[in-house]
Amino acid sequence: MQDFLAYTVLGLCLGSVYAIAATGLVVTYSTSGVFNIAHGAVATMSALFYWQLRFDWHAPAPIAIFLTVCVFAPLLGLVLEVVVMRGLRGTSEVTRLVTPVAVLLGINGAATWIWFRSSNRALVPKKFFGESNVKVLGQAVYYHQIIGVLLSIVIAGALYVLLYRTRLGVTMRATVDDRSLLMLNGGRPDRVSMASWAIGASLAGLAGVLLSPQLGALQVFALTLLVFDAYPAAVAGRLRSVPLTYVGAMVLGLSKLYFDWISDAGQRWLVLRNLRNAIPALLLFGALLLLPQDRLRGAIVTRTRERFRVPTMREAVLWGGVLVAAMAMLQSIMSGSAVISLANGVALSLMALSLVLLTGYAGEINLAVFTFAGVAVIAAWQFDVGPTGLATQKSLSVGAVLLAMCVCSLVGGLIALPALRLRGLYLGLATFAFGIIVYQLVILQTQPLHFNIFGGKFTVNLFTNGSLTVPRPHWFGINFAGQRAFLMLMTVLFAVLGIGIIAIRRSAYGRMIVAMKDSPAACATLGLNLTRLKLGVFMVSSAIAGLAGLMWAAERRTLPNNADFDGFQSLLLFMIAVVGGIGYVSGAFIAGIFLSVLSVVMPDVFDKLGSDYPSLHWLFVTVLGNFSHYVGPALVGIGLGKNPSGIAQQIMDGFRPLKKAPGATAIWVAAIVVLWAATWRGAVSNWHFSLISVGSLFIVPRIIMSVFEDRFAEEERAVAGEDLDLIGIDRAFRSSDRQVLDTALGLPAGPSGGVE
Amino acid sequence: MTLLECRNVGMKFGGAAALTAVSISAEAGVITGLIGPNGAGKTTMFNCITGLLEPTSGEVMLDGADITKLAPFRRARLGVARTFQRLELFTSLSVRDNIRVAGEIRSRWSKDKGKSDTQAEAEHIIELLGLSGLADRDVAEIPTGMARRVEMGRALMTRPRILLLDEPASGQDEQETEEFGELLLHVRDEGTAILLVEHDVSLVMKVCSFIQVLDFGCLIASGSPAEIQTNPAVLEAYLGEDHSA
Ligand SMILES: Nc1ncnc2c1ncn2[C@@H]1O[C@H](COP(=O)(O)OP(=O)(O)OP(=O)(O)O)[C@@H](O)[C@H]1O
Ligand SMILES: [Mg+2]
Repeated sequence: MQDFLAYTVLGLCLGSVYAIAATGLVVTYSTSGVFNIAHGAVATMSALFYWQLRFDWHAPAPIAIFLTVCVFAPLLGLVLEVVVMRGLRGTSEVTRLVTPVAVLLGINGAATWIWFRSSNRALVPKKFFGESNVKVLGQAVYYHQIIGVLLSIVIAGALYVLLYRTRLGVTMRATVDDRSLLMLNGGRPDRVSMASWAIGASLAGLAGVLLSPQLGALQVFALTLLVFDAYPAAVAGRLRSVPLTYVGAMVLGLSKLYFDWISDAGQRWLVLRNLRNAIPALLLFGALLLLPQDRLRGAIVTRTRERFRVPTMREAVLWGGVLVAAMAMLQSIMSGSAVISLANGVALSLMALSLVLLTGYAGEINLAVFTFAGVAVIAAWQFDVGPTGLATQKSLSVGAVLLAMCVCSLVGGLIALPALRLRGLYLGLATFAFGIIVYQLVILQTQPLHFNIFGGKFTVNLFTNGSLTVPRPHWFGINFAGQRAFLMLMTVLFAVLGIGIIAIRRSAYGRMIVAMKDSPAACATLGLNLTRLKLGVFMVSSAIAGLAGLMWAAERRTLPNNADFDGFQSLLLFMIAVVGGIGYVSGAFIAGIFLSVLSVVMPDVFDKLGSDYPSLHWLFVTVLGNFSHYVGPALVGIGLGKNPSGIAQQIMDGFRPLKKAPGATAIWVAAIVVLWAATWRGAVSNWHFSLISVGSLFIVPRIIMSVFEDRFAEEERAVAGEDLDLIGIDRAFRSSDRQVLDTALGLPAGPSGGVE
Repeated sequence: MTLLECRNVGMKFGGAAALTAVSISAEAGVITGLIGPNGAGKTTMFNCITGLLEPTSGEVMLDGADITKLAPFRRARLGVARTFQRLELFTSLSVRDNIRVAGEIRSRWSKDKGKSDTQAEAEHIIELLGLSGLADRDVAEIPTGMARRVEMGRALMTRPRILLLDEPASGQDEQETEEFGELLLHVRDEGTAILLVEHDVSLVMKVCSFIQVLDFGCLIASGSPAEIQTNPAVLEAYLGEDHSA
């Protein structure tokens, strides 16, 4: 009984801090409709800022806390709102989900860069009032914890009054429902939105400062994950209700502490050692499933800005061939280390490919792609394990690959089944939670599991020794163990899968899944069983993810269990896939290469430049290299609001002029092939080859544009002369429109003739 | 024969009642009108019939069978199709594919699978609806009036027994509406019953053989076009109290 009370007290203390973090999320969501996944990162950044002031520069605690919670964090929130979140209006749910992910990774990257770049010093925050404590119901409670409890009560009360009892609060809640209506009524949505982001960030900062002593020494992603633990509370409040969120936070805190109690602080059942860390994810998953069911949704945003074109089969096959040929040519002139970066990129591209089908076409979300890679590796490992397992096998057998794909497909179906009625953000959170659960309970598990089923004994080997070694295939009489051969295998696989996915998109099945994305309600009224269709898409895409994951693991050869599965890699990949162009197979390719280039190649390039020009070392290495490594990928994600259809689309638009000048294009391609041949023979260095060929990508379309100006001018005129009615009104009114209108109305032409 | 019958359907959003014990019906082989001022509850009624909303009380019967609790897709398979007042087109697809995919969905569930040639049927419907010139356009860029026809074509591809049209003529000009009226009669003659919600009163009067009027979620009148035109309750609902004074 005494224990029970003690753990209850501690649970409520923990719950209070969660409540502060979670109500912050509720404030931003209920006013802007954006679920700020970056909340945890804002908390982390603020905790580090506080540490800097308080423990590195020895500022007095009240000043440090004031500067952190009332100045730094709100400013960060304001900047986010003004610079990033505003651009998200009228974009799809996916974009509104991904942009905060980019912000999260960007802030964490910046924090790592600022505080953890080189020195290995431990940043240790202390509690307020150190170890001073009082006894509550027999349990020693630190002043620090009491402060947390008091603040959480004050904050929850204040927010309740603010949101439900004041005019500003009502306006704030109205903003998310209908901006334009609010504007008509004289509200100022921009200001309201800014205020809510500032408040939300400030609460994140406070929660970060209060939570950070739990960690001992500060670590960026660990602290962010600690704040993530509060997210289920916000979901329990349906992201809108402050009181429910508060209750949810208490349930969270108590469950963690009660688990400590009954498990003897994790000593009792070793297999469940990591269950404590999975509790928030389990609760999140549970809360999502128990949420009142939304009715079938129609198109929420009638016109999103994303629009994807579908290539014809001929184009798909052609470009698949071009990809394989270009890769074969490229790898033959590349250095060994460059081939490794490229192979890493192609492996990631393969993983991103599963998202094209699932997210780009079907509009469903999977934030746990790497979890499927982990599951695939474990499944393949079971295949002909023998006494020593897969590692001693010389080749990855086809049977192992098929088993991995089947298992992944089943697992995909299993998470999809309960999650089927969830959409968008909620589905994203559910898959993310699923990823964390698998990570904590399966992937971090090192002991083999023994089962007795139907009298037979089964052993499932997980990541024994904390890592698994995956051999490369030896198929069709070709040994793909070598880096170059394996790169080509993956490229061919990508081309084949890509063509397959485009074939799906062009089939009746593909039209159905796209229709399901565009309007579930309309599909249902046409007699489509959405549940079955969704389940199927999830299973197919999970199988692809499994295959891709296995290739990715084989590319790595040895895979540790603690590096890539904690959820952040999956978030990063999802984000980059959207940036690349989630509706395009080419987008997936760009995404993988891009990720590899930004986080590995660019820093290498800057390193080389830095050592070539020592006097500029600080610029190349300290600034540019670190920048592209830590915040580069995030930055492109943040830019998504401006161009939600992704890079692939931009590139295609950029190269459109080439179509009009086939002769010039052929000459250009021929020139590059000649240059390649010269490089291959050793006449040109591959450094110059890449400089010239990459440079020409940017320059040649421009040149063609200006040389053949007349051809493009015609096109513009054709657009201007279009029937206004047919254009619809999804763009700004242009002066040329007025001329069209004038002509149509029979008014005299010219600037003075228009109707005012 | 009564094909569709709603008995005492009530629908509440929170505390506000959008429908109060409304009983309406639609006969096979005719066009039935459902009219009423803005906010009367017409769209809500459609949502209850197609299953996008579950009514808080009352029953929806199709051909004598109770379908109140069925999932939307099951009702569609029984022959209920609709268009949406707020367009629900598949914006990633072209006009042609919007119509075609409906046939493809149908061939997944219909019993005469395989026998039908969806593509030819889609072309026929495109022709019928006068969309041939627009067939390859993105649906996002065609005018609203035409978009409503696409929705209707999509619904027709399921070969419904009853077609619910929610303000299909809005966005079409006078001449287009004229043609559209002919089209409705044609569809009716092919054997599809229609329940028509429409603000264009002259169109309703022209094509409907029976009209029901909603106001503030209650059925206030029903009868032939001639009766409705002179019904004082209807005039009052449409023209306000000034008229009755
Ligand atoms: N999802 C909803 N939540 C709350 N209220 C709703 C909802 N849908 C409709 N209503 C309300 O129910 C009432 C009936 O709306 P409905 O859209 O059915 O009217 P309508 O007859 O179709 O009007 P209109 O001619 O303008 O289309 C309105 O007062 C509307 O505000
Ligand atoms: Mg309506």
